[in-house]
Amino acid sequence: MPGCLRRGYNPVLTGRLEGEAVQIVSSGLSDVGRVRTNNEDSFRIVEALNLFILSDGMGGEAHGEVASAMAVDVISAYCSGDKEDSGATILEEAPENWNSQTRKLRNAVAQANFQIFQTAQKNPEQRGMGATITVAWFKDSRLSIAHVGDSRAYLLRGGNLQQLTNDHSLVAEQVRRGLITPQQAEESEMQSVLLRALGAHPDVEIDVDETEIFPRDVLLLCSDGLTRMVTEPEIAGALQAETKPAAAAERLISLAKENGGIDNITVIVVRFEDESEKGWFSWMRRGAAKKD
Amino acid sequence: MAKLSLMFENKIVKEVPIGSRPVTIGRSPDNDLPVDNLAVSNYHARVYYEAGRLVVEDLDSLNGTFVNDLRVERATLHDGDAIWIGKHHIKVDATADAAIPWDTGRKAAAPKINETMVLDTKARRDLLQQAAAMGERSQFASGRVRVATLVVLSGKVDLKEYTLTNKLTVIGKSPMATVRLKGWFKPNMAAQINQRDDGYYLGTGDKVPIVNGNPIAGPVRLNDGDLIEVCGVRMNFIFRE
Repeated sequence: MPGCLRRGYNPVLTGRLEGEAVQIVSSGLSDVGRVRTNNEDSFRIVEALNLFILSDGMGGEAHGEVASAMAVDVISAYCSGDKEDSGATILEEAPENWNSQTRKLRNAVAQANFQIFQTAQKNPEQRGMGATITVAWFKDSRLSIAHVGDSRAYLLRGGNLQQLTNDHSLVAEQVRRGLITPQQAEESEMQSVLLRALGAHPDVEIDVDETEIFPRDVLLLCSDGLTRMVTEPEIAGALQAETKPAAAAERLISLAKENGGIDNITVIVVRFEDESEKGWFSWMRRGAAKKD
Repeated sequence: MAKLSLMFENKIVKEVPIGSRPVTIGRSPDNDLPVDNLAVSNYHARVYYEAGRLVVEDLDSLNGTFVNDLRVERATLHDGDAIWIGKHHIKVDATADAAIPWDTGRKAAAPKINETMVLDTKARRDLLQQAAAMGERSQFASGRVRVATLVVLSGKVDLKEYTLTNKLTVIGKSPMATVRLKGWFKPNMAAQINQRDDGYYLGTGDKVPIVNGNPIAGPVRLNDGDLIEVCGVRMNFIFRE
């Protein structure tokens, strides 16, 4: 798919929350924006795993999209593999408190980093290519998140939009350290300077987190093409106004384009629907789900 | 062994010796030196020995800790120093200790920098180097780690105290909630506490929580010592070391 100016995907999945069936409705949409001529973002929704991957590539001459596509490919292949994975194979310290899925996800990201780095080393014209990664994996009511760079994951819960990831950009780090204000960060000409990205070094520090998902939660993964153009209240508003993920994704992208669209914009919207509120129909579904 | 005397208007309120354990100062009655004044944070400061020196450390109090008249985050103490916390002060009596040389340098608390930065080529390069160095370390490496804690005062929940280690904390009846409400007719998600870069925010769920007596309208940033009420449960939000 690299090279496409626009691509989308709208699967309907099912999962389980608190032992009850939930319907997971998701939508991914990527748009080149209004200024750039090529789309360096990549995303993938792996239905069988409830795995959502988003990556924003960098490095000129179409190498950015090579890096982001590679990140998505390596991670989906690694997570799909049924290899037993203790989490200690790639990175020496394996934190005890994470579940095996989270550890596997972290190893998948480490693997993607290494492959992008190696490829860039072998092909001199691809030196300097890299990518951000934000990936979410849902299983048994828990969401594992792995993240490097300045793409973001948000959770909308009860009307509150909460950023689940920390940007690994210079300005974000300066804000966290109280060196500059969020306003100054928005105006800074150094917004594009990343502190971490996939492909820059043979190993990379990966942020990993786990969180519980509640019925009616909405998860958003997005590239900075959205967050630099659209404010958080606007994002929250769009996610609340459009209950269909495909419509929400469309609205977010058109908002980013209306506000300038200077970069590629990619969003994945995931809704965890509360089946139990749908009356007798959910009883049948739950009954059916228990058989497998 | 040194001694601390809590003073109010030149009268001694309480005296404690400093042993191997830190002496804590704050509004909460479980401090070694409780100071009953609203200007004082629940856990305001502590004094302890470190490598033979007596040290005072501010626990990110709202109104600050002063040694003589300098606001400090951390400072070495000498005999005769006065630690000012609100209108109270604490006299340091270290006559029993070996004298500590004065050249240790007392550092004032870093002022908050707000002015716009001018980025010339050199500044940018320096910044990048600095940033690269920051990137090497863990993001949370700087400073002390303050742990947000919910202390339950009354109401039916599963624990007496909750440490807020996650970005997302849910208060509700759901088995996945961090603060598990007990009893009939309690909502699965009554309220939520979200950790952001600049602090912890209490938000609504199926209920509107009350903070210090006022129902919240939207997400509110929690301050040390805030009283939270939701579904008949009363909790204190505090920061612990």
